[in-house]
Amino acid sequence: MGKDVPRVEDRQLVTGRTEFIDNLTLPGMLHCAILRSPYPHARITSVDTSAAERLPGVAAVVTGEDARRWTKPYITMPEKWGPYCVAVDKVRFVGEPVAAVAASSRYLAEDALELIRVEYEPLPVVVDPFKALEPESPLIFEENGSNVMYQRLFTWGEVDRAFAEADEVFAETFRWHRVGANPLETFGVISQWDAIEGGLTCWGSFQAPSYMARGRAANLRVPSNRVRFIGQPHGGSFGGKGGARGTDITAMLSRKADGRPVKWIEDRMECLVAGGSQAWDRFYEASLAVKRDGTATGLRIKLVDDLGATAEGFGASGAAKPLASFVGCYAIPAAAYDLTIVATNKLPASPYRGMGPPPHNFVLEQMMDIAARGLGIDPAEIRRRNFIPPDRFPYTIPSGNEYDSGNYEAALDQVLAMADYPRLRAEQVTARAQGRHLGIGVVSTIEPGVFDWGAYAILGARGTGVPEGVTVSIDVWGKVIARVGFPAEGQGQYTLVSQLLADYFGVTLDDVQVVPQDTLSAPPHFGPGGSRLGVAITGAVLGAAGALRTKLVTVAAKLLGAEPDGVELMDGKLRVKAAPERALTVAQVAATMLTRADLLPPDVEPSPEATYVWTAPGRTSADEQGRSKGYLTAANACHLALVEVDIETGQVRILKYYLVDDCGTRLNPATLEGMVQGAVAQGVGAALLEEYVYDDEAQPLTSTYMDYLLPTVHEVPMTEKAALVTTSPFTPLGAKGAGEGAINTTPAALMCAINDALAPLGVRAREVPASPNRLWALIRDAAPPSTPS
Amino acid sequence: MTAQTSRQAARTRQVRVTVNGRQYEATVEARTTLVDFLRAHLGLTGTHVGCEHGVCGACTVLVDGAAARSCIMLAVQADGAELTTVEGLSRDGELHPIQQAFIDRHGLQCGFCTPGFLMSVCELLQHDADPDDEAIADALGGNICRCTGYQQIVESVRLAAAKLREEGGSS
Amino acid sequence: MKPPPFEYAAPTTLEDALALLREHGGDAKVLAGGQSLVPLLNMRLARPAVIVDLNRLPGLDYVRQVDGWLAIGAMTRQRAIERSDLARERQPLLHAATRLIAHPQIRNRGTVGGSLAHADPAAEYPAVALALDAELRVAGPAGERAIPARNFFQTYLTTALDVTEIVTEVRFPTLPQGAGWSFLELSRRHGDFALAGAAVTLSLSSSGMLDGARIALFGVGATPLRATAAEALLTGETPGDALFTHAAQAARDAVEEPLSDVHASAEYRRHLAGVLTRRALTEAAARARGGRAA
Repeated sequence: MGKDVPRVEDRQLVTGRTEFIDNLTLPGMLHCAILRSPYPHARITSVDTSAAERLPGVAAVVTGEDARRWTKPYITMPEKWGPYCVAVDKVRFVGEPVAAVAASSRYLAEDALELIRVEYEPLPVVVDPFKALEPESPLIFEENGSNVMYQRLFTWGEVDRAFAEADEVFAETFRWHRVGANPLETFGVISQWDAIEGGLTCWGSFQAPSYMARGRAANLRVPSNRVRFIGQPHGGSFGGKGGARGTDITAMLSRKADGRPVKWIEDRMECLVAGGSQAWDRFYEASLAVKRDGTATGLRIKLVDDLGATAEGFGASGAAKPLASFVGCYAIPAAAYDLTIVATNKLPASPYRGMGPPPHNFVLEQMMDIAARGLGIDPAEIRRRNFIPPDRFPYTIPSGNEYDSGNYEAALDQVLAMADYPRLRAEQVTARAQGRHLGIGVVSTIEPGVFDWGAYAILGARGTGVPEGVTVSIDVWGKVIARVGFPAEGQGQYTLVSQLLADYFGVTLDDVQVVPQDTLSAPPHFGPGGSRLGVAITGAVLGAAGALRTKLVTVAAKLLGAEPDGVELMDGKLRVKAAPERALTVAQVAATMLTRADLLPPDVEPSPEATYVWTAPGRTSADEQGRSKGYLTAANACHLALVEVDIETGQVRILKYYLVDDCGTRLNPATLEGMVQGAVAQGVGAALLEEYVYDDEAQPLTSTYMDYLLPTVHEVPMTEKAALVTTSPFTPLGAKGAGEGAINTTPAALMCAINDALAPLGVRAREVPASPNRLWALIRDAAPPSTPS
Repeated sequence: MTAQTSRQAARTRQVRVTVNGRQYEATVEARTTLVDFLRAHLGLTGTHVGCEHGVCGACTVLVDGAAARSCIMLAVQADGAELTTVEGLSRDGELHPIQQAFIDRHGLQCGFCTPGFLMSVCELLQHDADPDDEAIADALGGNICRCTGYQQIVESVRLAAAKLREEGGSS
Repeated sequence: MKPPPFEYAAPTTLEDALALLREHGGDAKVLAGGQSLVPLLNMRLARPAVIVDLNRLPGLDYVRQVDGWLAIGAMTRQRAIERSDLARERQPLLHAATRLIAHPQIRNRGTVGGSLAHADPAAEYPAVALALDAELRVAGPAGERAIPARNFFQTYLTTALDVTEIVTEVRFPTLPQGAGWSFLELSRRHGDFALAGAAVTLSLSSSGMLDGARIALFGVGATPLRATAAEALLTGETPGDALFTHAAQAARDAVEEPLSDVHASAEYRRHLAGVLTRRALTEAAARARGGRAA
């Protein structure tokens, strides 16, 4: 543990042997292609699939009629904004499925799509979320009576008084454009319907197989004990793999094709236009109440979140999660959140790494800088004055979540030292004299980790407890097997499990094998998400290992002629504490349990195996103001970015990037470093490059990677990193959730740096991505009239 | 060449190609992309599909030693060519030094983009045994990774170059 | 995203290639590097009945010096130009532009002739050809003809090529001794299509005055354009910031209908045209004064 070990996943990955879903072929398998609406809003007046059905090689075709008779509309959060998997009666966004084909190849299936005739009656398009809120607006879901998916004002503490009594109030508006996950592997699934047993088996790149399985049982009306999902190792997810519609469509096609397996691999254009690839289409109004010394006394954030045409993607959760870290690292005592989630004819938003805090932090950190600038205080200093001090933890923030531990000032000091902050400020002054515009952004953020359902209670999520289970067993040769429910996604969790068990039972990494289970065989689990899995699986593994150790100790005690409390597990041996030379190896004890039931103590099963299901302790459900202990841990990061803005072109160059991250005990440092850097890259993309654009008729203009710009090696800074460790008092080894990491921080750091560079010009950039065109236009508009542009 | 003359156009065509030293022959629809040919017809599924329009680089293979995006090549264009894919890097279970370097320096997380990167790195190190950071970035600019943020990939390339120089030759 | 069905031919002689184009005319599309065509096929935006693959034609892959010209076979890969010492020494503008084309995988397959014939408004080679007054050799049913670059690029993705013709060679004049050059483009990411770009060469007389400046702008219109008014302003003048700013304004004003898309507005592109012209002139003048051709 804590060491830099080669990952157990890697040999298969570097040789191309890992079985990603598209590498799997089953006997009789067909290939699916999906016909999609070219209209953002239209009635479907007819669908004629006869020519497609007749094309040789086509085995089955499904339409909305099949969806209507075989499936139910999606259950959503908030409720009642769920369509069918294939459009019935109307389409609500460009790219919505209207029919699908299963054929002998994807090539042929796409040929068949061209033979399907669909007649549409276009309806008025809803593209502007503010217009969508107006009473006369056309409705996306007529039955809901308006386009408002959610509207609520939360007030935590004496907000009005804080603002009334403030020395200064700073206010600003911000715009965050749609960005999204885009793992390199798109979604893929193979569905196989069993008409005899009335069951469904699905293989796929599912981020959360058990939840997908549950959803299919409900949607497709299949008995839940006949739904079996196999999560293949997959090429990233970041919350946005999507896949519900593809799974249901292929299930229906398989049903129609006599139970032949049907594979659908989402292509990249489908992913960008119609997949789980878009999130955070946001309009913010923020205000910060401060005292003259920079202490913030109140924070108001108003958010209008354009969720797109339905709530099927669970993207609304991104508007609830900010409650978990609403005031960031700061001891702001009062806050208000005015939240409106609205439907328009765009792609339904999905979760994306960070789940909502990245835009929220971009707003909060810029407000801190705006206040600093307005009060004449250095931005690092204003943060220092507002940090929750280390002796106040566990600390409950106004929106209800509890931060476990942290030392924000130490992280700030460390990053300022790494960057030699005073020298950078001096460099900035020199550069300005030479006509160069350098900017420094110093930001500090919270990464909530290990979610529970209370975090999403305001949207209707019910219950507490997010289980993660593992079964640990030892075979006759002492090899350790861990049966888990989650597939490999890239975070090295199988390595983590192996490290934990290798240390626990004194074996080598190679002696441990992690075996993923399908959803009918696995213990209760959720899988990766909400920066939970590292902590959760550690808890599960330690719990199972502990239970197994108890069994081994009990058996060893009998075999060694000692009392159980006189026997310990040490360095792979069960030995008598008082006489350590009297010992048995773990393998010997396990073998005895499996082969010599006659030697076992009474009431001990002949089974060197234990299952443990972990969930975060002390979780609460939300009160009437949405307050709950929604996230167990609060990791912290402090980033410092140095940028240069070319004011003639608006281009931004990142010159230096420093960061300190504190995620408690570092279970696998190399993995953590990689995930932080990967999240920095996503943050750079969000801040400078990535944007989904819709025109005035809700037509998507960014349907390829020529238009949606992912950062390459050229655009991502090689960052200088350091770690700080404030352990969590709540988790098994003191680790905090860290999977989402720097995406919570980097957009804020870059925007603060850009604004620091442009402030002398009277420019304030408030929109991401801060493309060169956008920045140039701001600079031009701020220039005095006599300056030639 | 077969009975098809130089002046005839046809829907299908025979393709003879050497991949990782082994010869293959198949008749394919001309519209079949090279990556689909490798994956579906030859069963070499180590090369991955990420975008199908020539941007992400996940499908990178070597065609006569030069890195190429196999999603925007037709299989028929590879007739007579020598291809190298990720499956051709390791030999008898022994990893190629470039593969080992990526493991050692954690140059991968989900691993989906990795075969494409490995092939681009192959080409780079065949031409330049001691690339500086600019040369590394230039060689990798056409491969996208969503997981790593590239830093550990660059470190892996530096280590791979060092390993190969130690071995005294290129792959 | 799979291509629609088509027929495919891979002629092994130029005659056979031309015969195929005569036979199929507008129903055929020529395949050179494929880096532009195959994505369009995958997206089903191009639906030719026939694809004529030029990659089997012998003798179209070379870089040679012929008198004062660099003669390049149409099927020469962009990567070969990048690695050609002859190109780097004799026509550094072309060489520098090549290094900015996309990424290595693209340059390994993309061809010089293909890039010119495709005529993307933001592509590098058409701008270089226009800046240098390159000459394209074209083969067709009536035999060979030469098309000067200024007549070759007609409008968006459209050239003077007939559907029955293919480019066989392009000739770029070599850079005169003592001439300066600069190739600048601005793109969202390294290797992306340029939002705007400028290809500039200029010479200084023995008394240090400008004689023979050439400015080609790209990414800002349906075709690359020569900023001839700006060029005229420079002739006979002493190089300097004020002059170059003045010329840059003229270049900017020469951009009539800039493209506009999700990456850059028309207004921004026009502005960039001016900025990049000024910067390129400055860099070219420094190179000229430095006496280095490369």
